[in-house]
Amino acid sequence: MSAFVFKRFLQAIFVVLVVTLFVSYAVRLSGDPALMLSQGAGSVTEQDLQNIRSGLGLDRPFLVQYAEFLRGIVVGDFGRSFMGGTPVARLIADALPATLALASVSLLLSILVSVPLGIQAAVKQGRGIDQFIRIFSLIGLSFPNFWLAIMLVLLLSITFPLLPPSGWDGPVSLIMPALTMAIILSATNVRLVRTAMLETLSAQYITVARSKGLKDRVVLYKHALRNCAIPLITYIGLQFGNLIGGIVVVEKVFNWPGLGTLAFDAIAGRDYPVLQGTVTVLSLVIVIVNLLVDMAYGLVDPRIRTR
Amino acid sequence: MKLKALIASASLVFATLAASPAHAAGTINVALHQDPGNWDPVATFLVSWGAVGGQLFDGLIIRTPDMKLVPGLATKWEFLDKNTKIRFTLRPNVKFHNGEPFDAEAVKFTFDRLLGEEGRKGPQQSNYNSIDKVVVVNPLTVDFVMKSPDPVLLTKLAGYGAMIVPPKYIKEKGSQHFGMNPVGTGPFKFVEYKPKISLGLERNAAYWGGAPKIDNLNYRFIGEPATQAAELQAGRIDVANQIPLAMIETLKKDPKLTVASMDGPVALALRYNTQRGIMKDREVRKALIMAVDRDAIIKSVLLGNARPIASFQGTLSFGNDPALKPLPFNPAQAKAMLQKAGVKPGTTVQLDFRGPDSNFREVAQAVAGYLGAVGVTVSLKPYDTNVLLNDIIPGGKTGEMWQNQWGGWTFDYDNTAYAMYYTKQRWNPFDDDAKLNALLHQQRNTWDQNARKKTLQEISRYVADQALEMPLYSLNTIYGLNKRAKNLELPADGRFRFVNATVE
Repeated sequence: MSAFVFKRFLQAIFVVLVVTLFVSYAVRLSGDPALMLSQGAGSVTEQDLQNIRSGLGLDRPFLVQYAEFLRGIVVGDFGRSFMGGTPVARLIADALPATLALASVSLLLSILVSVPLGIQAAVKQGRGIDQFIRIFSLIGLSFPNFWLAIMLVLLLSITFPLLPPSGWDGPVSLIMPALTMAIILSATNVRLVRTAMLETLSAQYITVARSKGLKDRVVLYKHALRNCAIPLITYIGLQFGNLIGGIVVVEKVFNWPGLGTLAFDAIAGRDYPVLQGTVTVLSLVIVIVNLLVDMAYGLVDPRIRTR
Repeated sequence: MKLKALIASASLVFATLAASPAHAAGTINVALHQDPGNWDPVATFLVSWGAVGGQLFDGLIIRTPDMKLVPGLATKWEFLDKNTKIRFTLRPNVKFHNGEPFDAEAVKFTFDRLLGEEGRKGPQQSNYNSIDKVVVVNPLTVDFVMKSPDPVLLTKLAGYGAMIVPPKYIKEKGSQHFGMNPVGTGPFKFVEYKPKISLGLERNAAYWGGAPKIDNLNYRFIGEPATQAAELQAGRIDVANQIPLAMIETLKKDPKLTVASMDGPVALALRYNTQRGIMKDREVRKALIMAVDRDAIIKSVLLGNARPIASFQGTLSFGNDPALKPLPFNPAQAKAMLQKAGVKPGTTVQLDFRGPDSNFREVAQAVAGYLGAVGVTVSLKPYDTNVLLNDIIPGGKTGEMWQNQWGGWTFDYDNTAYAMYYTKQRWNPFDDDAKLNALLHQQRNTWDQNARKKTLQEISRYVADQALEMPLYSLNTIYGLNKRAKNLELPADGRFRFVNATVE
């Protein structure tokens, strides 16, 4: 086990290196933070811009800047934001819990909805309920997330003022962003569960379980679901990466103080230290989630555990 | 029945949970589109800093929302030694929020810092380079010794980098601490800053200009205009500084809310690449201006929230000439002019614009439609804003036309015109005109505001005559407001003063 974790650790380092190197280099190709900072200042000369750049340390060669960033990671210092000099570590420490909370609640909500619905659709294949679920999942898939978010705000904050339209005012603030993400995730997940279930349900051991006289619920949730769990977990693990991508838009609309907003603003403002920091943390999160997924295989499937 | 009861109780729970504490008695809540990240006057140059700066700090001079320069921390000023020196008499008995006294040393410290090492790292210094040094005459008198005339200096002393900062506090705590925990002399005192989320201020009961009426001022950083509108509708903010145009009518219908749309600092034009293709011909450039119905664009795309312009500035700008009228919309004459210039129907021109700007995208499409009608095909090329501003324009890599958008808080055509038309300036990759250069130089080197106004108007007429750009419109400044906030004086540049504001 420890060898496995160590290998994964090395992989994580490699991923972070490649991703940050690419992102740091690419973002420097387009745009100049000095000009972003001095927008609106009338008489900015090249010399002024040069002064700002050297104040930000941008006059040094790229590899020196990148090495500085790597050294920072090792000693736990991500540098300071170009926009005002807030320590990047503080920005990330504030934003990471918000994003993780939103991502995990959305994912959980979507699993709670899509697993029972997907199973129902598979069991009642071709019948009314199956058609109904499939049509609704198609509608869910077709919603752009920002539109759904705005509609929810209109309904639940303005027409019926039940929830705060944006920001963080305690756990109630999680409801709408999580619902938006969950509706869109569930639309895919329902179909996935249905397909996986259909395949499993036609297996011989299900027929055996049924003929033993086991209750429907036991057959479905204990025998069938567990057997199709591996592809589902794999998919949901992979989905986490997409989820983090999709979260940017939802965070923007709900003014959610998370990493998505942070990264988005950092790209728009060419705030290299913040961007490098968020990308590093996000790639680490995804690496860790994948590690957890691998470890979860063992939990759901005893055959993998004994190997 | 059971279900109904469940829904009812669930909504009750939500409603209790959601009852926001945002409206404590005497608090005004303001949405800002961006967090400048630092409250040090020398650190940034962002409109959102300006919106807050005047609450925390004062300049020697204050500009009121109706654009008048009035005494701030200086009670009077006079020009000495053939205008090479400005003597400021300072306001006595003023204290910073931390109890430190405001005096001539604080003014000297502020400008030594702005013009020295600390200021060099930031974007503010370049605006104040005309000042050679600040000399303390006595504790309540300072002299500004000038390197060169700077006709916009007094305005520039009323904002941003020229806000007076406390010497002892900064020396003891350092600039970084100061930026996160600002101390000034302004009407509101710093309470709490949560980066990217909010900034809390409370009234400065000892403010020299009379204490504010409200207890607290709470800023929230909300980047999405639609989200700002939703927060306004939900009654959780009182002032929104970004409202989507399409939402204005809806907000106006809400009895609790109002929308203010007024002349603002931002001007838009399509600048021509005068070195490329048919744009080399001045008559062609003029014909294209006459082919576009700007009034119709303002009415249908911008829903009336803009005003047509004849030069690259709004009506509030110093140097704007009300007598200068834009070329009339006359597609028949435009067509004839194009024909005379030998432009073949179907000739293609490229228009570069800021892709994420959805309003301008529609404007650009409308322009393309009008030009199409006189036989010029427009290919629209959206760019990432940063790429357009940093690479395409300064590098001279634009198509025949590019979106030019500009708004300076000084409301002075000098700032705009110099950057746009002086040879080799960043925003002037194509034109090199000795006459323009001379005029621009002339107005910058005098303190005589009347002479300067005449020169600036001459510049605007000359640029219009050369047709260096297709002037479009000046955008309105738009605020969404909750009627419970009273006595708000609405500033064109976003720099509210909340001293007299009250709240129901």
